[in-house]
Amino acid sequence: MHCHPHHRRRIEKSGFHNVNNYDGNTANVPFNLNDNVDVLAEILSRLDGRTLGLAACVCRLWSVMCRQEAVWEQLCGGKVAKEEKSVVIALGGYRRLYHICVGPVQNRMQDVDEGRRRSIRWGRHEIQLFMSLFSIDYYERLGCGSRGSSLMFLCKAR
Amino acid sequence: MAAYRSEGTAANIWFDPTAKSAEIEVRLAEAGYLGRVADLQQVYRPDERRTVFSPDPQIIQFSDSSTIIHGNNPSDLSGWVDSMLSQISTPAMPPLLSSAPSEDERQQIQSNPFQFCQTSTVQVPSVTYQSQVPQMDLDSGIQLVHLLMTCGESVQRDDTPMAISVIDEMRSILLSNNINTTFGIGKVAGYFIDALTRRLFTSGGGSSSCCCDFFSTVESEILYQNFYEACPYLKFAHFTANQAILEAFDGHDCVHVIDFSLMHGLQWPALIQALALRPGGPPFLRITGIGPPSSDGRDSLREIGLRLADLARSIGVRFAFRGVAANRLDDVKPWMLHVAAGPAAKEVVAVNSVMQLHRLLTDDVDNDATSINSVLGWIHDLKPKIITLVEQEADHNNKNFMDRFTESLFYYSTMFDSLDAGGGNNEQRGLAEVYLQREICNVLCCEGASRTERHEPLTKWRARMSGAGFKTRHLGSNAYKQASMLLTLFSGDGYCVEEIDGCLMLGWHSRPLISASAWRIGDDVRNSNCSTDDNSTLMMNNNNNGGSSTTNSSSSTSSNNNINSN
Repeated sequence: MHCHPHHRRRIEKSGFHNVNNYDGNTANVPFNLNDNVDVLAEILSRLDGRTLGLAACVCRLWSVMCRQEAVWEQLCGGKVAKEEKSVVIALGGYRRLYHICVGPVQNRMQDVDEGRRRSIRWGRHEIQLFMSLFSIDYYERLGCGSRGSSLMFLCKAR
Repeated sequence: MAAYRSEGTAANIWFDPTAKSAEIEVRLAEAGYLGRVADLQQVYRPDERRTVFSPDPQIIQFSDSSTIIHGNNPSDLSGWVDSMLSQISTPAMPPLLSSAPSEDERQQIQSNPFQFCQTSTVQVPSVTYQSQVPQMDLDSGIQLVHLLMTCGESVQRDDTPMAISVIDEMRSILLSNNINTTFGIGKVAGYFIDALTRRLFTSGGGSSSCCCDFFSTVESEILYQNFYEACPYLKFAHFTANQAILEAFDGHDCVHVIDFSLMHGLQWPALIQALALRPGGPPFLRITGIGPPSSDGRDSLREIGLRLADLARSIGVRFAFRGVAANRLDDVKPWMLHVAAGPAAKEVVAVNSVMQLHRLLTDDVDNDATSINSVLGWIHDLKPKIITLVEQEADHNNKNFMDRFTESLFYYSTMFDSLDAGGGNNEQRGLAEVYLQREICNVLCCEGASRTERHEPLTKWRARMSGAGFKTRHLGSNAYKQASMLLTLFSGDGYCVEEIDGCLMLGWHSRPLISASAWRIGDDVRNSNCSTDDNSTLMMNNNNNGGSSTTNSSSSTSSNNNINSN
């Protein structure tokens, strides 16, 4: 890529991200994450549950972004089949799936294995188990007068 | 009987922690119990939070009931003399001076073992004794165990005064500060003392009506729900059965599940979801749920059916529900289940029984026309693809009271230990214990037709099912993996899953407590007339309109609801 020597000097001096217009004008634009929502989404999708919760408190935009299902879908095991996604949405969505099933299990496993804060890659069996527990949770919420979720055992610390 | 009360000092023996073990041995010997307190430590090894019983027949001797010594029963003089003479001839006479046992004394005891419990198949691992448990607690615990045994023996002999006095002593121990009644042997003993008291004080031993039927249907459901939440046994049962049913339904488009005990229907959401996600798409699912009729005017079966239908509709599974209200399983007639039979029927049937079949057993083992045989017969006639059977792994169906007592003491103490170690809040745990207490009372207090908790171990169920024409269907590694994963999510490290001959057993510290197995029709075809209506075939052919029909079972007022959904 041809870079006019005059522009190069400006890059080295200022350190700003340089927008190179073809008509020769350059503008020094500070890179604002909030203006690049797709980059923000990429970053958020790589966080773990607790950090996402913290990130949701930063500002309104981030709060909206953190509620996106796509972000939580990543946390719950990445890209899944279409049928599975529709079932998860019908039963309450990925955020709830994480909150009810995946998160507590992850926390429990991380208690065992100190220091691993990245999201764990779940296998087929684990996902099936989560789905079963999630469907029970949905069913219990349907019941009028059911006192509490039978999945509370997942939330208890060891 | 009055041996414990006649002297003022004697009454203090049982809960006086400073009483010398020699004096305790004298008292125990008067009750017919030949043992040494020092040796008793081999029996009861208290952990901080565990009650472990080790029925080591070499250490414990319990005199045969025919030679038992009644402390102050003057009418049984000949029996007392006999027992004295037999003791002189047997070398294992307990020394009344507490001293370290010499080597030949040990050998004498070992050479004359007496089976402590008739069913010696209970294998319990020994737990190392931890020295944090104060000595006071240990002695009280040991005393409690042996008082329980004494009381059980007294009840078996119908010696009510002796039993009552032993119960009083046990209560004194529990009330003293020497033992912790919130876990371990203290708690278990409390429940067993309660059950024994009920047995002694209700009229006629409760043969006609059970003294334990003190819960309504709604309350029973609440207890069941708490037991479901507080420990993994029911979840294990449901998940394992669902996995087996899912695998059996592979490739079929029209499936029918018959549930022998619907309760809240907690088993079925997971199956519906799994069927929704199976490769090839969900089938048309029918569930027939059997349950007791509701007393307060609500139709609980129908409500459960509506909830299940709601769930199925949300995730896109074609679903139909039918409820059959019956108090007992043998009140259910096959025609109520509306199973389409015959060569043109495409419907595949699964029968699911979670802790229900044992209620049909009786004391009468030789009679062929018993309830269990007739029910197994009509199950066979339904030609199900799979039958999932989950039962408690215990031998509580003995006619002999003492056998049942010992067995249930081991079984339920293990159960209570696992509850203690598990998660769940105190309320859940407390109600789960009440659920178990009801079972304990039924096992110990009721006789005859009112005793419904007739648990039998898996070996007996295997024989029974084979005799009825069924063959084992192996549960497979997926079920095992799922069960293991489920258990790692529960707090409490002691659970273990075992696979034995294609059946799964869940236990606590290698004592199996619940077994899950699957069965199918054997290859030999029995002569049977399939009694079905022709009307049933109309119903199953994608009838997606809402509607309800009622059928009454013969001996109970009931409604039989049919709920369909897309």
